[in-house]
Amino acid sequence: MTDYDAVVIGAGNGGLGAACQLALKGVKVLVLEQHNLPGGFASSFVRGRFEFETALHILCDYGPPDNRGNVRKFFDEIGLDLELVPVPDAYHFILEDEGVDAVMPVGVEEYISAVENEVPGSREPLTKYLDLCKEVLDALNYLAASKGNADKKVLRTRYANFLKTAAYSVQEVTDKFNLTQGTKNLLYPYWLNIGPPVSRLNFTIWAAFLYKYLTQGGYLPRHRSHELVSSLEARARVLGAEFQYNTRVSGILVKNGRVTGVETSQGDVFTTSHVICNASPTLAYNKLIYPKSEVPEIAYKYINSRKHSLGVLQLCMGLDAPADEIGLKTYGYFIAPHVDTEKLYESFYRCETPLVQAATCLNNALPDCSPPGTCILSSTCLIHPEAWANVRPEDYYNVKTRMAEGLINQFERATRLSIRDHIEEIEIATPETYARYTGTYNGIVYGYEVESWDSIIPRMMSIQDEKYVDGLYFAGGFSFRALGFSSSMLSGQATALLTLKEMGVE
Amino acid sequence: MKFSVRFGLLDLLAFKNLVPGRKKRIQRASARPITSDPVGDLVKNLHPEELHLIIDEVRQETVSTRTFRLVPDPESGTRSLPYFRAGQYLSFKVAVNGVTVTRPYSISSSPNQALNDGFYEITIRKPENGFLSNHAWENWSKGTNLVTSGPCGFFYYERLRDSDDIVALAGGSGITPFRSMIRDFLEKDSDIKFTLIYGTRTPDDIIFYEELKEFEQKAPGKIKIHVVCSEPDDCWTGPTGFLNAECIRNLIGDISGKSFFICGPQLMYAMLDTQLQEFNLKARRIRREVMGQIADIISHDGFPQEVADKTFRLTVRMGNEIKELPAAARETVLVAMERANLVPPSQCRSGECGFCRSRLIAGDVWVSPENDGRRGADHIYDFFHPCSSYPLSDLEIEIPRPV
Repeated sequence: MTDYDAVVIGAGNGGLGAACQLALKGVKVLVLEQHNLPGGFASSFVRGRFEFETALHILCDYGPPDNRGNVRKFFDEIGLDLELVPVPDAYHFILEDEGVDAVMPVGVEEYISAVENEVPGSREPLTKYLDLCKEVLDALNYLAASKGNADKKVLRTRYANFLKTAAYSVQEVTDKFNLTQGTKNLLYPYWLNIGPPVSRLNFTIWAAFLYKYLTQGGYLPRHRSHELVSSLEARARVLGAEFQYNTRVSGILVKNGRVTGVETSQGDVFTTSHVICNASPTLAYNKLIYPKSEVPEIAYKYINSRKHSLGVLQLCMGLDAPADEIGLKTYGYFIAPHVDTEKLYESFYRCETPLVQAATCLNNALPDCSPPGTCILSSTCLIHPEAWANVRPEDYYNVKTRMAEGLINQFERATRLSIRDHIEEIEIATPETYARYTGTYNGIVYGYEVESWDSIIPRMMSIQDEKYVDGLYFAGGFSFRALGFSSSMLSGQATALLTLKEMGVE
Repeated sequence: MKFSVRFGLLDLLAFKNLVPGRKKRIQRASARPITSDPVGDLVKNLHPEELHLIIDEVRQETVSTRTFRLVPDPESGTRSLPYFRAGQYLSFKVAVNGVTVTRPYSISSSPNQALNDGFYEITIRKPENGFLSNHAWENWSKGTNLVTSGPCGFFYYERLRDSDDIVALAGGSGITPFRSMIRDFLEKDSDIKFTLIYGTRTPDDIIFYEELKEFEQKAPGKIKIHVVCSEPDDCWTGPTGFLNAECIRNLIGDISGKSFFICGPQLMYAMLDTQLQEFNLKARRIRREVMGQIADIISHDGFPQEVADKTFRLTVRMGNEIKELPAAARETVLVAMERANLVPPSQCRSGECGFCRSRLIAGDVWVSPENDGRRGADHIYDFFHPCSSYPLSDLEIEIPRPV
């Protein structure tokens, strides 16, 4: 007899997804979280009159009731009653060097028309391109539905283009289409959601993301992502899951290659045969598995073969005037000089404001998210941990303020709006902040980079081969479904289903 | 119509090779464990969960005020002091008569002193009924070991938000974060104009008087110090009275374009709230240090008088333990727990930091609006901050374990 049928390490999106799915099937599950609240990156914090979001720009794969995404389906399955708000379907692209200043809508037809409007001649190649994206997404949904028993014949006949493109980068595939630079200017901004430059970014994950976003739009919880994760926690509790906060797992106990329990930094030991780990494989194999002799050499190789991705700097501002008075008209802004993603990506390695930012004015999606007469503006940029490797503690506050100032300047210049004179509250979260509150390795938020060899398809196909400890699965942004709120949550659901299968629970 | 990508058979092969290729890549990789985590190191350096400090020196500032100089205690694991932002505080965790409580004290020394000279200073006034301050006064001396949080709090100058023309309004021991700020500005030779208006009762009560005057001389035109006495003696030639709108206007002239920073006793906050209204300042131009537990909760606006004299039953779950204890309506849930010798995490004791965030399983609490730092969803899902919440009924709660 073990204390728990399963222990979930970490109450981030992945851990919460796993906990809900496990508890739904009636198994005894304990969630251990080192922080004093759920969510991991998915959280919020209060400064003065404002409550700021820590990570979410839009929740994808949720969709409207008549076009349910996988996240909505999951919520329906676990009986989660949470009202999410659709984000107005407009994303403002400003490419300063290219003279691009355009608002792009959601909806495949609407999007194509808007691009055609800006760049005549885009319609035909872009339509073909998005047809291919649709096929990729359909193929992924087919694979997910087949639960590992995909019919090769079906794949070859119905999803041939998916198979043909799966091993290639966005650039390699996109180059086959006659998209002009003008068209790419209105296509590549979405890349920022995934990270690596299009020359390395795998096409499959990009295509699926893009098509899902265009057909389903984005959603937001009313009270920042803290509401999303709080509702998942509450649901998991109702289903029978137990939670312990301020409880850091110091060891995943392994004997003869099999999980036997977890130990916490307070010294408790909880025995179990199944662990779903929302902490990264990097941390698990390098730090958590005990004794170390139970970590096979291949596990270290597995970690070292992969490219650790990016961290985030997020600037949160509470402004003392309403959005419309300041001139903030859309929810989302993408601001860069151009979309040469190679050059943009390079700028993430420098300890200065990167070339590209994604900003949101939350009030344009949730008008009541801040007190009357105020609004919330956030700006996010990506940073490679290497850029922070040499920041001395005594320079830390100056460095982050300088980077934030660069973001404000870029935003003001690109939008010709005045922000600086309205800042009532400001907080700057850096890779250090994300590491501090979640323990994520090197402050990384984006998991492992999704190059073709390490994109979701090869990851999914290798799940069993890459299980180096029996009874241990990984959920969250570092797991097989890769980064993002919905992927993390659904990776929790998927690994819970795998775990249930091993338990013999149907 | 189905569109077909102009890829060839080789591309199917590439698909087939994805997994074998992946295996090869993994095999080829190094088997060395990862030991470097620079960002994690920065976290340990800037935001350690706990500091172990030793009192190195005690200085009598005034009849009723002492400064304690704190240095790291390497034997207990603290080798250096985190850098901080001038204006931040440390939360002290101290056992007083067998009861462990926390109290925040602003750091009165500068960030550079922590970095280069290896010390923090805190300055404590002996109040008439301050639980921990009295204890510190009686028991703390050179060599005393102390446990604190890392530097925390949000009361600091932020150049992207605040004016570089600062007016600091200090009352009593509320001078402490400003001493840190002025030192910091001087040490960094910053371009900030800093006017301190320091309200004190008698001339004997003025903390750091000589030092503040020295600061002023070091940076004439940038640092300006005004001390206002409410009970002056015959020798006092400076301004007298309380810090009110008239006094402030007389001392600083034009109000526009300035940021006001306020730190002092609760009565001063209440008074300044009314007085500053005259200036029609934007909210972003006023920064207040958190006020700590509200001293006179019974006469506080909105306090539920009908339960004032009641004592409720509080059931506390922590980890796998359950404890039942009494909770008086006029004390915070945190204090009730501390009285029963539970040690839930806490830092700011003002509802702001969220460190004590707990789950309300049954019952109801009252929270004063100015100390309500709960997240929106916490209202929906019944989480609360015990440090700023008062019981309205019997309660059952679940608190986070001590870290």
